[in-house]
Amino acid sequence: MIIFSTNEVSKTYANHKALDKVSINVEQGSVFGLLGPNGAGKTTLIRIINQITAPDEGEIFFMGEKLRSEHVYSIGYLPEERGLYKKMKVGEQAIYLAELKGIKKVEAKKRLEYWFNRFDIYSWWNRKVEELSKGMQQKVQFITTILHEPKLLIFDEPFSGFDPINANLLKEEILALKNKGATIIFSTHNMESVEAICDSIALINKSKKILDGRVDEIKQRFKKHEFEIILPKEEDISNYIFEGTELIDKETNNNFQVSKLKIEEGRNAELLSRIIQNTDIISYKEILPTMNEIFIDTVSNE
Amino acid sequence: MSKTGIIIKREYFIRVRKKSFLIMTFLGPILIASLWIIPFFLAMNSETKSRVLVVDETLMEKEGVKSSLYLHKFKNNKELIFEYGYDIQEAQDKLSQGDYDAVLEIVSTTDMPPIKGFLFFSENEPSLSAQSEIQTQLSNILKDHVLTYDYGMSGEDLEWFNNPKIGFYSKDIRSGKDSYKEIKTFLAIISGICIYMFIFMFGAQVMKSVSEEKTSRIVEVLVSSIKPVQLLMGKIIAVGLVGLTQLLLWLVLSVVIIGGLKTISPQTFTEPQEENITINERVISVDKVGEMASDSSQVNQVIQGLFSINYTLVILMFIFYFLTGYLLYAALFGAVGALIDVDTDAQQFTLPITIPLIIAMVCFPIVINAPSGGVAFWLSMIPLTSPMVMMMRIPYGVPVWEIATSMGLIILFIIFCMWLAAKIYRTGILMYGKNITYKEIWKWFKYNN
Repeated sequence: MIIFSTNEVSKTYANHKALDKVSINVEQGSVFGLLGPNGAGKTTLIRIINQITAPDEGEIFFMGEKLRSEHVYSIGYLPEERGLYKKMKVGEQAIYLAELKGIKKVEAKKRLEYWFNRFDIYSWWNRKVEELSKGMQQKVQFITTILHEPKLLIFDEPFSGFDPINANLLKEEILALKNKGATIIFSTHNMESVEAICDSIALINKSKKILDGRVDEIKQRFKKHEFEIILPKEEDISNYIFEGTELIDKETNNNFQVSKLKIEEGRNAELLSRIIQNTDIISYKEILPTMNEIFIDTVSNE
Repeated sequence: MSKTGIIIKREYFIRVRKKSFLIMTFLGPILIASLWIIPFFLAMNSETKSRVLVVDETLMEKEGVKSSLYLHKFKNNKELIFEYGYDIQEAQDKLSQGDYDAVLEIVSTTDMPPIKGFLFFSENEPSLSAQSEIQTQLSNILKDHVLTYDYGMSGEDLEWFNNPKIGFYSKDIRSGKDSYKEIKTFLAIISGICIYMFIFMFGAQVMKSVSEEKTSRIVEVLVSSIKPVQLLMGKIIAVGLVGLTQLLLWLVLSVVIIGGLKTISPQTFTEPQEENITINERVISVDKVGEMASDSSQVNQVIQGLFSINYTLVILMFIFYFLTGYLLYAALFGAVGALIDVDTDAQQFTLPITIPLIIAMVCFPIVINAPSGGVAFWLSMIPLTSPMVMMMRIPYGVPVWEIATSMGLIILFIIFCMWLAAKIYRTGILMYGKNITYKEIWKWFKYNN
């Protein structure tokens, strides 16, 4: 089921077109990656989703309805530029932000106690934000983003500013939220995290959407029919190559010969049966392109 | 609670709980109390010389020699110089021409001795020391006279000699109506400065608060929960309420402090007691000026002066211009706050809105001198200066149509400024790391958010 979608959304600022007929569809319960180089229009799209700005053209749907102001209660937003009131106490501030998302004070306090304990920052409740380390501030901000249990979460570069341990913690929390049924849109440059947690993506470049779909499907679409084959070191892959296969790389170490081949579509079996008649195959696998490669290829081919 | 309500609650309490609020709350009344005391000291310690024309209607001419009980009996001192005439009409003319600062009229009555009719006319309030000096001198003259001739007076009449009663009128002879200019000036300056300070202090607070939210980037989270306009309005309302709270506390504390000082040293606030004059005894009722000559000691005259001003109008107008002035500038300061980022030069944006405030302040003396003059008129019409300038004119009396026009103009202008501020605000708060120019702001009006 599609929980969120935009239909040909355009937005023009005084000088330039920030978004040009961008349509995306976000499946309920999925993690949706919004990718693109700096200045592509991601932030504009995110601000439109959060109703911070309105599009010039196009429609936006959320939970089957046109997006309207009450929907902010069902959306949580962690902006790229994080910030809290520096002079305000942590607990007080978290309650204030929760109240703005429509949660009663008592309920907010109860939920905050749970999350503060879980993130091990409860002892900081009465401290001012400026006394906290940057990582701790990030934790506080993450909690305030998810406290109202939004159906749709928007994370803009969530991993920036986190150390590896906390980044991992965050990743697990995001996946836990997904398992609880939340839908997550997240924008990032970090392609590793895309591979790790995204189900689908949309790639935006120069204000246009140039690619979208499920991650596994996109990888299939972009595969180059390249394979990695590992043979015992006495063997030489060159002996088995025929018309239609191309040796890209060959490397022999102490035990094995690792080679990279490009094989014409549908001729895998032919190659394998040739080898297998003479020797053992230690490993054989298709090399799918990484999201990073797809990203760079697609953007630079534009 | 509505979202704007939540904003107001936070913005209000965060300020009221600040130490600086507490400090200002206690410093303010001391300032107000000192402002209240200063005029009294000034009235007591006037150093300028006043020329007093004594018009003696009891003057008699016998064989070319003028004689009277009072002729040449008054002694000049550092404050008062006495001269003598006998035609009251001529004296009034001279007074209105400025040849003299005051006229002491000794009214001829059928009583013997002719002691019951003393009227003192002056353009401005006579100082307290001048009043008591004249009183003492009169008393001495009369005592001399009584010692020389025995009139067989009763005790009550004798009491007059110690306290001859004089009717003091600071009368605007040119226009023929009471002016009480000093009180009006005092009221005008106080209310003008009060509005000016309030706008500056609390307008700047709105600006600071907006730019803090922008530079800390929390604003992006806030506007994903609440409309920018609601956020700005909540802020403006909350800061305004803080100002009103402070004002209210000042009033309460000022009353307490002034009350306290009165019990500690009552002399400071009443007239000098050593002159043996008490306020209420100096009552005169002379037939000629019957209805005018009620309580006319200086303090009573101050009160009388306050009543002669349309007090209800002044209070209502003060509240109106206080609030509209604040709203107008708070909106503009809010917009400026949205333009300031960490390393932006705030000066280029604050200057255009502080200049009208400074112009109004610089023109205060011009307005006070000529409350109906051209400068005063135009500055009280232009919405950017009218809250201060119109407020200064009102104690002197302003035609209804002028007040109505000024009020209408400022309301229209507030609506315009709110619209303008909202437009600048919602774009400006999300412009990070970019030096915003006027050219760029102009472009913002061409597209919709």
